[in-house]
Amino acid sequence: MAAIVETQGLTKKYGNLIALNELNLSIEEGSVFGFIGPNGAGKTTTMRILTTLLRPTAGKAWVAGHSVTDDPRSVRRAIGYMPDFFGVYEDMRVWEYLDFFAACYEIPAHTRAGMVDDLLALVDLQHKKEAYVESLSRGMKQRLCLARTLTHDPQILILDEPASGLDPRARIEMRELLRELKNMGKTIFFSSHILSEVADICTTIGIIEAGRLIAYGDMEEMKRQLRAHRLIEIRVLGDVTPLQEFLLTQPEVHRTASAPEVDLPAGTVRVDFGGDDKALSAMLASLVGQGLPVISFSERTGDLEDVFLQVTKGIVN
Amino acid sequence: MLMQLPMLPKYTLRHMLRDNPVMMKELRSRMRGRRAFVVLTIYLGVMSLLLTLIYLAYASAARQPFGPDPRQAGKVVLASVVGVEVLLAVFIAPAFTAGAITGEKERQTYDLLRTTLLPANWFVMGKLQSALAYVLLLIVASIPLQSIAFLLGGVALEELLVSQLLVIVAAVAYAIYGLFCSSLLRSTLAASVATFAGTIFFTVGVPILVAIGGSFTSSLLFGYTSGIPGWVGEVLLVHAGLFLASLNLPATLIVSEIFLQEQNTLFFYQQNFSGNMVWLYSPWLLFTVLHLLLAWFLYWLTVQRVRKVAV
Repeated sequence: MAAIVETQGLTKKYGNLIALNELNLSIEEGSVFGFIGPNGAGKTTTMRILTTLLRPTAGKAWVAGHSVTDDPRSVRRAIGYMPDFFGVYEDMRVWEYLDFFAACYEIPAHTRAGMVDDLLALVDLQHKKEAYVESLSRGMKQRLCLARTLTHDPQILILDEPASGLDPRARIEMRELLRELKNMGKTIFFSSHILSEVADICTTIGIIEAGRLIAYGDMEEMKRQLRAHRLIEIRVLGDVTPLQEFLLTQPEVHRTASAPEVDLPAGTVRVDFGGDDKALSAMLASLVGQGLPVISFSERTGDLEDVFLQVTKGIVN
Repeated sequence: MLMQLPMLPKYTLRHMLRDNPVMMKELRSRMRGRRAFVVLTIYLGVMSLLLTLIYLAYASAARQPFGPDPRQAGKVVLASVVGVEVLLAVFIAPAFTAGAITGEKERQTYDLLRTTLLPANWFVMGKLQSALAYVLLLIVASIPLQSIAFLLGGVALEELLVSQLLVIVAAVAYAIYGLFCSSLLRSTLAASVATFAGTIFFTVGVPILVAIGGSFTSSLLFGYTSGIPGWVGEVLLVHAGLFLASLNLPATLIVSEIFLQEQNTLFFYQQNFSGNMVWLYSPWLLFTVLHLLLAWFLYWLTVQRVRKVAV
């Protein structure tokens, strides 16, 4: 599948500060790309370059085949951008807000009314059509802004922290909305530092830290990497010392930890296990065979938080 | 490399005036609710009261022996209305535009607009149109009050037309100056301060400089330049005075009126300087040309500022 966003050696410097360092990305059309990283990592800088708001110091970037520096107008036609912090015109009605931006995207007046209704239906704001924007909740404003990005039917949505500042319910609604847009075939490039939100809708993720892309790839591949470091929690009756001594003799066990070293209940040991399911089953059999009084044996479900912590370990410092 | 000059939008003038989304949005916001109409009503009410008081004062004075000529009442009425319009052009028009671009930045809507297909010159033009539209509404709404001057007599149609032209040209130029400050600075407060500093300089500072410069120039020309014939120095001084008057709206209005009354000319006339006939021009001509050129240049600079990508 063709790359809809591509960057080559993209670099942005502010004096001596390197905000973005040789970023190379290639995002396929129709994918949902989650751009993960802590605050100040370079996510917003990347997005501002891709949306033609910022000129890179070095390197090149293309969106939908158009250079962001040489053909910004074509890039703007191809993207819908929602910044991290955005304002709304408080003294406008909801439909006027969408109508205004549709006009800015050169949508003819006779098609705007129907389009506004469709967009409001998509983001579930039909009932607020005549309301003033100032009367909307934060979540509603966020959805309205998302609807705004769709007025010109762009190929790719670039969303900077779309769920930031939302309450849990609004976060879920936003996630559902992104899923719906994904089903509509839109390419979505969005950033987040709330990793669990990215996990279940992304097809690809990139992890950026201190301006460098330190991990990039298919979501499932990332999870497989995570499985190379499975965390197993084993609970036994009585003292955990014999259990730990035995575990450290096992070839697939990297290390063990128990209370008070880590926050675990008494009698529980956490194991960093590098083997597959077969090796895990064999280890459980060995434990029982050794006569260790196992009363619980479970694997902690790995999520992106773990991937993130493992991949970025020590980079910031 | 030559910079790209701002072009008018690709559509016709009718499209630009009617379909500019920024203008539509701004006007919709400005005219929504009672505020705009309350301001208009108060403006006309105060103006009517002022004119009534002026008329009553003149009527009363004219009945006295050696009182003023009643025909002067028309001129005073016109001058009063134009005086208020000058304030509108010099202070209200740029006040509307000084926060036009910084307001978008402070509201965090600027980036949203810049990623749309809206050309930079449409954005600037829309802001300008919306600000001027309201000022023009106030000016046009006061025309019936100005026409009272015709009933009272002593006012020529040319006086009214020239005064309106000058006020409108000044409103356009100062409004664009406000927009330029707004594109240059980060906050509305800073843009407003810069805008008012500039307009006050042109309306108050220039006459002071004229006074200082005039006395200096006259001493230079008549005191130390013995090689130059006296009439040449006099001509240079008069032209310098006319030029400086052309930079200032009140001075232009007053001097143009003097030309009309005393020389009976709207454009040019010949003055005798020690037997040498020299052409002099009414300052409203140069005022109009200079301010339209300045307005165009500042508009161009503003468009460049808006078009610029952050580095």
